[in-house]
Amino acid sequence: MFVIKNKLISMFRKLIALIILAPVLGISQNTAIGTQEKLAFSASYNLSGLLTEIAQVIMETSEVKTSSATLLRLKCSATTYSNFDSYFKIRDLYESYVNPNSLTPYLYKRDINEGTYNKFEQYKFNHKTKNVESILRKKKRSGNIEEKKTVKIADNTLDIVSTIYQIRNFDYKILKPGATKKFTFLFDNEPLTIIIKYLSKETLSTNLGKKECYKLAISLGNSSVLKGNNDNLLWLTADTNKIPVYAKFKIAVGSGELKIKSATGLKH
Amino acid sequence: MRTLFVVLGFIASILSVILAVTPLFKIAFIPSIAALVFGLIALYVSRQKQLPKKSIQLVFLLTIIALSLTTYKSIFSTVEVGDTEELIQKENESEQEAIETLEDIEIDE
Repeated sequence: MFVIKNKLISMFRKLIALIILAPVLGISQNTAIGTQEKLAFSASYNLSGLLTEIAQVIMETSEVKTSSATLLRLKCSATTYSNFDSYFKIRDLYESYVNPNSLTPYLYKRDINEGTYNKFEQYKFNHKTKNVESILRKKKRSGNIEEKKTVKIADNTLDIVSTIYQIRNFDYKILKPGATKKFTFLFDNEPLTIIIKYLSKETLSTNLGKKECYKLAISLGNSSVLKGNNDNLLWLTADTNKIPVYAKFKIAVGSGELKIKSATGLKH
Repeated sequence: MRTLFVVLGFIASILSVILAVTPLFKIAFIPSIAALVFGLIALYVSRQKQLPKKSIQLVFLLTIIALSLTTYKSIFSTVEVGDTEELIQKENESEQEAIETLEDIEIDE
C-alpha cells in the first residue's frame, strides 16, 4: 500500500512537472524565443466540462551576464491560487541557463515546494565530457539529505525546461502530419525521451485571439507518467513565435488543462 | 427499494455538501444532481406505498444547501494568486547563486 502510494505521488510529481513545463532534439538556431518574454498560463482540472482553476504557471526568459558570456535564463514557476493554498500549497521554481543561440543548457535548477514536500535539484552540464554533476537536496523530518552524483549523458541531452523551449523552437514546417520528433532530457537523474508527434493544423480561439496552431501529441518513451494514445496534446501557434497556447493532459479521472492568459515581450 | 434510494440520496447529498465547501466546489454539481434523482425516486416509492417522507426531505434540504453554495461560489469567486513574496525572493537568490555557479562552468559561445 505504502509503495503504491509513493509510486503514485512520484508519478503525480512528474506529471505536475510536465504540466508546468508542458510546452526537443536537434539543436537548431533559436528563432522563436525572445530575451524578455513572459507567458502566463492558468492550470485547471476539468471533469465533464466542470473547470476548476488550480494554479498559475509563468514561463519567463531573461538575459544573464557572467564574466565570460551572456546566457538566457529560462524560468518556469507554478503557484497555486489562494483558495487552494490551505489544502495543497505549491510554489515550484524551475530554471535553466542556456546558450541564447542554440538553447543548450549549462545549468539547471529545480526548487520545489509542494505542501510539506521540499526538494532541490541542480545539474551542471559539461557537454564536452558528456557529464552532468548533479546535486539533490531533500528536506525531511528526520533531517536534510544531500546527494552528489555524476551522471553520464548522451549527445544532445537537455533538462526539462530547455526541452520545452526546444519543442517551441523546432521547425514544424518540415514535418508531415503523423511524423515524430524525439528529445532526450534528464529528470530525477534519469534520461527520459519525449516523443512529439505532429498531428495537424487547427485554429483555436484563445485569450490572445483566434490563432492557427500546430497540434502536437506528447508521449514519454520510457515512462508511464503520460498515458494514452494522442491523449496528451499541445497546441503551438503556427507563427514564428510558436507560443504554447493550450495543453491537455489525460489523468485518471478527468483531464488537466493549461491555457494561456497573456503573452508579452515576444521575439516577433 | 425505498431505503436503498434514501441511503444513496444521503451519501450523494453529504458528498455534495463536503465538495461545495472545498475549492473543488464545481464538482459538487455531479453528486447534487445524483442526490436529487435518488431523492425523487425515493419520494415516488414512498408516495405509492404511503411511507414516511421525513428522511427524503432532509436529502433535498442538504442538496439545496450544496447547490446554492456551489452556484453562489461559481458566480462570485474569482481566482487570484496567493502570497508569492517568498517565491520572488527565492527566484532572485537563485539567480545570484546561479551566476556564481556559472562562473565555474565552461561555456562555449
